[in-house]
Amino acid sequence: MTLLAVLAETSETASGDSRMLTICMTFSALIFVIGMFGFLTRRNMIVMFLCTELMFQGVALAMVTFSRLHLDVSGQVFVIFILTVAAAEAALALGLVILLNRRRQTLDVGAWSEIREC
Amino acid sequence: MTPSILYTACIASAIGLYLLARSSNGPARGIGTLIGLGGLAYLLVGVMGSSEGGTYTSILPLIFGIIGVMAAVRVTTHRRPVFAALYFVLVVVASAGLFLLLQAEFMAFAIIIVYAGAILITYLFVLMLAQQSTTDDSDSGASWYDRTPREPALAVLAGFIMLAALTQSITEADGQAFMKQSIEKSSQSSTIAWQNLERLPKQLTRAAKDVQPDTKEVISGSLTPNGATATIKVILENDQEATLTLPASSQPANNQNVGLALVADFPVSLELAGVILLMAMFGAVVLARRQIELGEDEARELAGMQPTTQRGGDE
Repeated sequence: MTLLAVLAETSETASGDSRMLTICMTFSALIFVIGMFGFLTRRNMIVMFLCTELMFQGVALAMVTFSRLHLDVSGQVFVIFILTVAAAEAALALGLVILLNRRRQTLDVGAWSEIREC
Repeated sequence: MTPSILYTACIASAIGLYLLARSSNGPARGIGTLIGLGGLAYLLVGVMGSSEGGTYTSILPLIFGIIGVMAAVRVTTHRRPVFAALYFVLVVVASAGLFLLLQAEFMAFAIIIVYAGAILITYLFVLMLAQQSTTDDSDSGASWYDRTPREPALAVLAGFIMLAALTQSITEADGQAFMKQSIEKSSQSSTIAWQNLERLPKQLTRAAKDVQPDTKEVISGSLTPNGATATIKVILENDQEATLTLPASSQPANNQNVGLALVADFPVSLELAGVILLMAMFGAVVLARRQIELGEDEARELAGMQPTTQRGGDE
């Protein structure tokens, strides 16, 4: 059986499968938690923002799963707004990173640990 | 599922992630990978044991999910930021696969286009702008702040207490009962689809014309769902009434449903999203521009005024 046939069969029979929804919820929790772990441990500013995108990704997966669970497309509309916020955040955060990198010539957040007006 | 399985799995994955984050290479990395994978497998077995389902349906989401989680671990532990960004693309592709399985086709493609296509390219550009180039290909070529994690033990503790709480709320008895109840509701999915079709008058007329080419107009409010099919009353070209049966293929597709919900149910949010994007664009331009310190004369010159010459004469 080709992969496409499996995919087609899956989306037809998926309506009665609570196991798939449980699995998707578990993976969304895992991706969110790994993103949080990365945000707390990494020192590189760019990778820290990458980890927030990872957390967004986990939340988006949870939203789509809920939309499937309740048969309501509002969950998918929320994902569109998550995408908007992620794009805005990426633009602003990366502009900020470039600004900070220009001042201290490093991407280390530790370089900004004692932040004050200068 | 007993809580002890859940907590054991969470602790194992936490130890694995800690070892992976702590050591850049060597045997500890392999041990960390093994413990982490074992914890993940144990967690999945526990979660799957607490619900019932089909065969194919549970294999494909597992494949996509495991790829996604492993790539996510690489994003947080890889020493070189460019590779972390590329692994994030893999996370996006894997979750797009899960979106496809969850019948959110539009979001699957939108997330690949927006995340992998636009946001990640921005990240890569900034990495190339800001990162000092390293000629060395090994891990030791990375900067010290990429090699040493900050408080990995505390971060693992915080993260996996949260994971235990989240997965417990997914797998506990109430959650399962709720999921089953919701799944039973899914027999109404075609009723909801027909209701959405009724809110799309042009689409409804087109569907009626596909069945009966002589249709002049559809009598509004005449759609009655009947399982996978539905019946509507139409007025034909010769001003006679007729009853048509619409096939299941004329139900609106996922992207039509999303678009309808976006425009009809959340119009203000849609406008606000546009404003947010515009403001982010302004903010990024203001933040990233290079500040040039101008003397008074240069500023006057740029403004089209005569330079002040009397300053020297005053003294």
